[in-house]
Amino acid sequence: MGDIVQIYNDYKDKADFLTVYVREAHPTDEWQMKSNLKDDVCYAQPKTLEQRVAIAKDFTARFKFPLPFGIDEMGNAADNAYAAWPERLYVIDETGHVAYRGGMGPFKYKPAEVRDWLAAKYGAVKHEAPVVTNSPATAAPATASVPASAATTPPTTSNSTK
Amino acid sequence: MKRLLKWIAGVLTVLLLAAFGALWYMAGSPKDAYGMVRYALPHMHRGTLKVGSDAPDARLLALDGTSHFHIRERVAARPLVLVFGSFT
Repeated sequence: MGDIVQIYNDYKDKADFLTVYVREAHPTDEWQMKSNLKDDVCYAQPKTLEQRVAIAKDFTARFKFPLPFGIDEMGNAADNAYAAWPERLYVIDETGHVAYRGGMGPFKYKPAEVRDWLAAKYGAVKHEAPVVTNSPATAAPATASVPASAATTPPTTSNSTK
Repeated sequence: MKRLLKWIAGVLTVLLLAAFGALWYMAGSPKDAYGMVRYALPHMHRGTLKVGSDAPDARLLALDGTSHFHIRERVAARPLVLVFGSFT
């Protein structure tokens, strides 16, 4: 199970969440993919912060994205500090240290590992029905480009502290 | 000597073609194979953060387009899950 929104819904009372919008991974003027056309997600790489804000607003509105949201500024400070592009997950502990560092997406973008981290600390949240991953209504940023196998592969390594 | 150079050039060509073929297979098309080399590969080993590192700070713009906040401001009494990504 690899859906970050589901994880948010399951653990928002235990942990804080922050989505950080970074520069586009597959803009029309760089490396556009067929899936972008299919999903009607076609944007040029923003040249201004206003353009980034506009895309971020489109994203949150389209998916009714519930997580708290911030936008990396044009100097890409957050991206550079966290090696975030195109997508990556972290958990920062209460003392301000990296407790979990996910791999570079899409192939190593594994929300299930974040779920495991949270489950180890706060207990697992059981779902009666299987949760559908990569549903457009619950997609996290850039997960449209995540192969289902990558999003659902159970973690095999532990690169975290709990 | 000339023959050895020809062999080396031949082997290198075969290796390059094999690498491109593998990328083509992974990425799905020649264009995506190029995209992977041009945009993804340079990012493969970025960053020095490890588990236990101090979480770096960065200023972010809020969705309202006017107010700012810092990532570290969100570190409090609970773990903070950071989700980095874009729309495309």
